[in-house]
Amino acid sequence: MRPPIVVAALVVMMCQASVAWAQEDAAECEKCHEDRRFLTGKTETREQDQALFITRDMLLQSAHEELTCASCHDQHAGGYPHVTDSIASQCGDCHEAEQDDWVRSVHAENYSSTGDAADCVTCHSAHSVYSRDDDRSPTYDLNVAGLCAGCHADSTIVGTYFSAEKDSLAAASVALYHETVHGTHVTDAGLEVSATCADCHGPHRTLPADSLASTLHSDSIATTCGSCHEDVLALYAGAAHGTASNAGVGDEHDRDPPNCIDCHTAHGIVEAHEPNWFRHTVEECGECHERLYQTYLGTYHGKVTELGGELVAKCSDCHTAHDMRPATDSLSSVHASNVVATCATCHEDANESFADYYVHGDPMNRAEYPLLFWPWVIVTAYVVGALALFNVHTGMWLWRNMRQAIRQRREQLS
Amino acid sequence: MTGGQEAALPPRRLSTSEHGEGPYVWRFSRLDRALHLMVIVSFYALLVTGIPLLFAHSSWAQSAIRMLGGVETAGLIHRLGAILTFTYLFLHLGAVLLGAIRAPDRRSYFLGPNSMVPNAKDWQDLKQMFRYFRGKAEMPLFDRFSYMEKFEYWGVFWGVAIMGVSGLLMWFPEFFAQFLPGWGFNVATILHGREALLALGVIFTIHFYNVNLRPEKWPIDVVIFTGRATVEYMKEEHPLEYERLVAEGRLADRIAPPTPESSYRGWALLGFAALAIGMFLVLFVVVAALA
Repeated sequence: MRPPIVVAALVVMMCQASVAWAQEDAAECEKCHEDRRFLTGKTETREQDQALFITRDMLLQSAHEELTCASCHDQHAGGYPHVTDSIASQCGDCHEAEQDDWVRSVHAENYSSTGDAADCVTCHSAHSVYSRDDDRSPTYDLNVAGLCAGCHADSTIVGTYFSAEKDSLAAASVALYHETVHGTHVTDAGLEVSATCADCHGPHRTLPADSLASTLHSDSIATTCGSCHEDVLALYAGAAHGTASNAGVGDEHDRDPPNCIDCHTAHGIVEAHEPNWFRHTVEECGECHERLYQTYLGTYHGKVTELGGELVAKCSDCHTAHDMRPATDSLSSVHASNVVATCATCHEDANESFADYYVHGDPMNRAEYPLLFWPWVIVTAYVVGALALFNVHTGMWLWRNMRQAIRQRREQLS
Repeated sequence: MTGGQEAALPPRRLSTSEHGEGPYVWRFSRLDRALHLMVIVSFYALLVTGIPLLFAHSSWAQSAIRMLGGVETAGLIHRLGAILTFTYLFLHLGAVLLGAIRAPDRRSYFLGPNSMVPNAKDWQDLKQMFRYFRGKAEMPLFDRFSYMEKFEYWGVFWGVAIMGVSGLLMWFPEFFAQFLPGWGFNVATILHGREALLALGVIFTIHFYNVNLRPEKWPIDVVIFTGRATVEYMKEEHPLEYERLVAEGRLADRIAPPTPESSYRGWALLGFAALAIGMFLVLFVVVAALA
């Protein structure tokens, strides 16, 4: 049914009226807020006075060009249009999903208890709101780290919220981030795709890692990192650690399988060829694989690694960095069918016999390595025996010389 | 011997080879001295880079490797030490071969008193030495080489053979894996590390006792560096050789000029430095092994 012409006319009139009203409303606001002289002294400080200086152009140039003052400041009728509660509910009228996320964030929780945590305008600003693709926006990829640092590198805020022992890493996180690979790629290389705070912590539903819903929770961190590092996630998810993680399986000490940040850390992420970090990962593997770690340290590879050697094989050189699988798995780099090729990545001419070398051989483990145990026993006995035998000669000679010296001394004294 | 020659001896040199009545007598050839120097240089190069690797876990090892300029540099020094070892081995074997070819009497070259080949007298000397230790006999009189010197000489051969073979296995594993099972390299590693400790032990408990620390040699004997010693030293340490030289009238051919002061000081310093580094290494091994 066609709407009666009257209804149509009414709608048109109402729209025109509302536009007119909105324009009138804005003009009303401008009277005061574009008048610096009027604003001077309205608050306690010059900065606050300055903050009240809001022009219509600000809005027109922002992403909110179609909004008017009253779109957000709808308490106009009730007196001063100044928001005291969080603006979030206002923003949520349009940005429903974002508001929904923020309300569940640690920021919202602190906002409601102390009033000094980030809400919409803290990050997006109040009037000059730009799209995150706009490089003027604080939420633009290359600006995010600086935006978050505004609070998270502030000693008062860090002291208030991150003073507990367990948060010591969080307190240093901003500085660490700027020194390491994601941060330097943002600040030095200007690489938009490099991870910034919001990419991992989530822009709105920001939660501590021990919260189940956090993007950083051990159940979710792989997916979070994998949103950029897709190929790595695919390898990790299919291999030993990833499948154990998905199945919720821990080891005999009830430790969770490692996820991305166990090896790479959260903020101090460096490139994989960085030697100090590489050495650290060996120790990290050893946290759970204690026996393999100890036997590795007994070999040439392990000893040279302990002395800071970069050229010798570390765990991941043989077991791969993300696609590690038990030797029984035919897809494993150390499975009998692949191990020669794995050795050959460093030892070009490796053959099967070469690959039979006990990379984790433990000479003191008689049950598993009888071929090493007996040579070890024999060689040790030979060395100890030979030294003992030869030192009978030296020892007796020393004894005779000492007796003679004592005798001569006595004769001199008497 | 004239009084003038005796007066020419410097009065208070520490080395026992410089003590007592002159004149000086040549004991070691230029080649012998060069070979011994090569043994020292290679042995220390191998030890200071190898012992830290054997005890990689110890903090001593890690500082030592840092001081050497990192583990890759240490690895390079170790391999250079190995090359020097093979060099002196083949130089010596070549010299022995050449000497045998040139020797007028090949039998006496290998079995005579100037040879390193052990003989019946060495066995008698050893037995007498043990009686001497118990105060039941005089110390045996030695010829050019005592049984102790022969023992150490063959010990170097034994050590170079074991360390050389096991070291080459680890240096070129891809090549040797064509003939050897994989566990052979594990065994080579065990053998190389253990034999290193034996070499360290023999040099620092036996060699240094024999040539530095026993009262007759205290505090040092640089004859292997300067190549010459006083007649008095020869009479005391190698009386049979001395008597033979006198009896055969060949002493005059062996008279050497006195050791110049500057070179004497250098050699004495080297001897003490080697002793000090050696004691330091022994201490290092003991601390690392106990930790």
